[in-house]
Amino acid sequence: MTTTASAARRAKRLLRWYPRSWRTRYGDEFAELLTAEFSEHPRSWRRTANIAWSGIYARLTTGGLTGHALEPSDQVRASLASLGGALAVFLVFGTAMWAQLTIGWQWAEPNTLGTSAAMITMSAVLLLFAVLAVLAVAPLAWTLLAPIGRRPGNGLGRPTILFCCGVAVLIVGARHFGNGWPGTGGHHWIHQGLVPGGVAAFVWAMTLSISSYWAHPAALLSFPAAEVAWMVLSPLAIVGVAVGATKVVRRLDMSPRVLRYEGRLGAVAASAMGAYLVASCCWIVDGGSGPRNLFHAGAIDIVGLVLMTAAAVIAGRTAHGARRAGLGFRLP
Amino acid sequence: MPGPSSSNPQGKATPPAAGIGTFGRYAGPATLILSSLAEGEKHGYALTKDIESFAGVRLAPGTLYEALSRLEGQGLIEALESHDRRRPYRLTSVGATALKEHLATQRRVADEGLRRLSGRWGLA
Repeated sequence: MTTTASAARRAKRLLRWYPRSWRTRYGDEFAELLTAEFSEHPRSWRRTANIAWSGIYARLTTGGLTGHALEPSDQVRASLASLGGALAVFLVFGTAMWAQLTIGWQWAEPNTLGTSAAMITMSAVLLLFAVLAVLAVAPLAWTLLAPIGRRPGNGLGRPTILFCCGVAVLIVGARHFGNGWPGTGGHHWIHQGLVPGGVAAFVWAMTLSISSYWAHPAALLSFPAAEVAWMVLSPLAIVGVAVGATKVVRRLDMSPRVLRYEGRLGAVAASAMGAYLVASCCWIVDGGSGPRNLFHAGAIDIVGLVLMTAAAVIAGRTAHGARRAGLGFRLP
Repeated sequence: MPGPSSSNPQGKATPPAAGIGTFGRYAGPATLILSSLAEGEKHGYALTKDIESFAGVRLAPGTLYEALSRLEGQGLIEALESHDRRRPYRLTSVGATALKEHLATQRRVADEGLRRLSGRWGLA
């Protein structure tokens, strides 16, 4: 009896490798198989490794990241959700990099063509991302508010609240901490930057957590407590926004036309990520020269670039998956 | 013999059935599973034991269920209703056709390989 209970507990633990949707469909029968396997071969690291790998693979499949064909609308939704996650990582590090540079430009112009061109390109691509966000959110919000999207039991309430709370925290917090930056307080260089000082300070405050100060705790302790608290809290808000948005995309009952439209926007976003990466590389290769070392590229920028490249690769793959599955729809 | 399956247990439309050759690294496990189910319906553990007995290969649980999931998604097998936690699977007619084509291709390759071994190396 104890052995059976122990085997059931072990099977349940191993099942955690798999995503919830997979467990719902195959969980019971898979647990039965594992229990039978345990009685025959009680311990096997190969079996554990096989289950762990299969579970991770099932999670990637659910995210539209493998070649395993899902039903077209599920595939588009899964791909768009993964694209949203990758885009969130990309934008967090990308905007942190951009905010650092554009704040530098508030003080002095870069004195090399490479850094200037990189910053102008990055600013233009960020503007494109903002336009794409509006274009992407509009039909989603419309579907969410329409009766078909609000169908009871589709679990949209919590992720929508999570998304809205995360956005509210980021806006209020970034405005508060951005106001502490001297560029917004009427200093006489405010109009010489590439973008208005308020925008630069807002983005800087929003991405304050992306900082090399984490590696220097002594320096971090000299910061005001509220600022350190914001550096801890703001990533949670960003995660809340990303998780809320991806869950809404996965659960929202979108029409084939909307799915296809979102798939096209995803492809444009993935291309824009490529352009942004090229511009970021131009700045780093240029050496980040400039007056008073304002445009210096540090280790955290290299780490950010690596993570952004990984996010862009995932986004490119998922955008391709979303677009390919979207083409399978027969529109009315 | 049941007819071709066009929907999965959740009632969603499935992608069109593809040959076993498109299963990539799961083509081997898929062939073994379909060959086992050609004899009759079986649940997960019975499949493992049967495959071990006729092929000498023990499929790991994760590999078995990844292949089952793909086969079911392609409509080559279908899950049956069960009163306990062990769900049996059955070969569909689409699956039977796909298995026959795949095995025929494998047999052609095997026959050709044996013929060449026999002619040049004297091994039959």
